[in-house]
Amino acid sequence: MAHIHLEDGSFSLFWVLAWWIVALCLIGVALFFLRSKFKPEPKMITIAAFVTAAAFAIFQVQIPIAGGVHVNLTPLIAILTGPVIGTLVVLIVNILTAAIGHGGWGLVGANVLVNFSEVLVAWLVFKGMKKITEDLFSRAGVATFAGLFAGNLVMITVIIVSGIQGVNQTTAQILTGLSLIAAINMGVAVIEAFLTGLIVAYIGRIRPDILGGNRK
Amino acid sequence: MSIVEERKGLIIFGVILIVVLIAALAAYQMTGHMGIEDRFTTAVGLPSGEEEGGETFFGFSAEGDPVLSVIVLGILIVGSYAAYRHFRI
Repeated sequence: MAHIHLEDGSFSLFWVLAWWIVALCLIGVALFFLRSKFKPEPKMITIAAFVTAAAFAIFQVQIPIAGGVHVNLTPLIAILTGPVIGTLVVLIVNILTAAIGHGGWGLVGANVLVNFSEVLVAWLVFKGMKKITEDLFSRAGVATFAGLFAGNLVMITVIIVSGIQGVNQTTAQILTGLSLIAAINMGVAVIEAFLTGLIVAYIGRIRPDILGGNRK
Repeated sequence: MSIVEERKGLIIFGVILIVVLIAALAAYQMTGHMGIEDRFTTAVGLPSGEEEGGETFFGFSAEGDPVLSVIVLGILIVGSYAAYRHFRI
């Protein structure tokens, strides 16, 4: 997964506000769609609540691989709730995460954008892969890889554009360092891809209606 | 339908998995073993603070304040249960 693991003060106030404003615009668009075009079915509220709890819980656990990594289930959020509700879910997860001292408050806006890109790309790939295969495991797995790759790209872009206060590294050095982090994050995406694939395949077997099919 | 056609999704998944694992292992070789916060601060050039070596469970550890984590998670679980009772799935 991608998440900007920096403390408050790493970004200048200008960029903290800029990313927050962009994130709030996205939230505004999501709320607009929810109120007008994509009114959620009642069961979707329950699913959103469950994925929020699951994503928050798993996000706080550091997995002992390569020194410590995270899984955050954003592709699963995307597949189960879609990009509109998914945007609100990642906002809540990021706010709660900052509230318990994991990451800075000022970076919530930027992290919402990172996670939103994961949600959007994973959802698009999951839907798009239907033309290639009906197999839910591989569709969810590939969607997870694609979503997390997009998240890493956005994470790197946000940091490079914002710059880090008080460091002497050149942009090329920061880019190199972040690219290595992204590569390691993608290694963790293997775990997340299997996890998401298995969960989605299981849901597809017992409750296909949750994934847009017909209820058994 | 040929087996390749039938397993197209899994083949794509497998190819991506292999490429990703190779890239991740190469990156791990270059950076060495370090915690996620350390990896981040090193990458951007910030002074690397000592990561707290808090309680671990078979190597798994919790980020942030564990007590607050449990409280927030408890609230989320109660909220999820209430949503389930009210809206069902």
